[in-house]
Amino acid sequence: MGAGTLIVLLAYNEEACIADVVTELRRELPDVDVAVVDDGSRDETSERAREGGARVVRHPINLGVAAAEATGLLYALRHGYSRVVRMDGDGQHDPHSVPALLKALEGGAELVVGSRFAGVESFRSTWLRRFGSGLISRLLSSLCRQRITDPTSGFRGFGPRAIRYFSTHFPHDYPEPESVLMASRQRFPIVEVPVKMRSRRAGVSSLTPWRSTFYMAKVSFALFMERFRAV
Amino acid sequence: MSRSSIIVLVFSAAFAVAVLLSARRRRTSEHHTFSWLLVSLLTAGLALWRNAIDTLAAAMGIYYAPSALFFVVCGGLVWMLFRLSLQVAEQRRQLQRLAQELAVLSAERPPPGDRASAPAPGSAG
Repeated sequence: MGAGTLIVLLAYNEEACIADVVTELRRELPDVDVAVVDDGSRDETSERAREGGARVVRHPINLGVAAAEATGLLYALRHGYSRVVRMDGDGQHDPHSVPALLKALEGGAELVVGSRFAGVESFRSTWLRRFGSGLISRLLSSLCRQRITDPTSGFRGFGPRAIRYFSTHFPHDYPEPESVLMASRQRFPIVEVPVKMRSRRAGVSSLTPWRSTFYMAKVSFALFMERFRAV
Repeated sequence: MSRSSIIVLVFSAAFAVAVLLSARRRRTSEHHTFSWLLVSLLTAGLALWRNAIDTLAAAMGIYYAPSALFFVVCGGLVWMLFRLSLQVAEQRRQLQRLAQELAVLSAERPPPGDRASAPAPGSAG
């Protein structure tokens, strides 16, 4: 780790916890820069993030998580970072797992997926979410011809080639599973590392059982579409 | 000329005028103006050449002539909607890219009071 590494926090209306998340990251990982991509929040997320000591990249309008992730990578590319770790701004991702992701990137991986289901005891999401994640996991693993245990994890690391590629070719709707498939089709080395996840610090998840079901169906369709697209 | 033909001709002329007025006010692009003028010309043509629909239906093997017209109009509308959806997707992509570039550029110039607190990019910590 060290210079050349940027942590990108994606945030949308996270004024209640973003400063704490940034402060914790800067305390636990003092050698790493932190940038918050504020995806057009209607609250004080940007101001709180700056108070915490992060650089803030703010979308003028809400573009969605896929575009926000691409903006973070574009920012990293423009400023010469060679490694990026993407985390959520709600504090669900444990900073203590970041070194494991960086180690995998230093080992040559271009996309490192932080997996909740690879051996480390984590915050357990609802059974429906776990069931859906399992289905998508099997589908994605078969499409990538590589075992992916946590396809919906947003706790990921990007190497230099992946930063360059994903800053211009971002997934359409579901960045987590789609980008794994895109990386696989680009023949980027993909590695999963076990990470710890926590419950969110503030706010509530927008996912309901119905939305989770639709999410599963739409992600499956999006993955087939992604497989169909030209590389 | 029958009353229905006159009604369709008046509609075609009014539509063409509306399209030209929109173009004059720069509210439509040349490409769209041409397409819409073509639609009004075709409508006028159908009003003047009344056997066109019967000829078209016979060529398509459709016994009930208005069904042939219905099919052609629906097909045209579906094609137009598809083209528009392609344009919307492309414009959405361009808008996203623009917003991302704006966000990255604006990060270089945060509000004056915050410049001291946030570290410069590339500088650790």
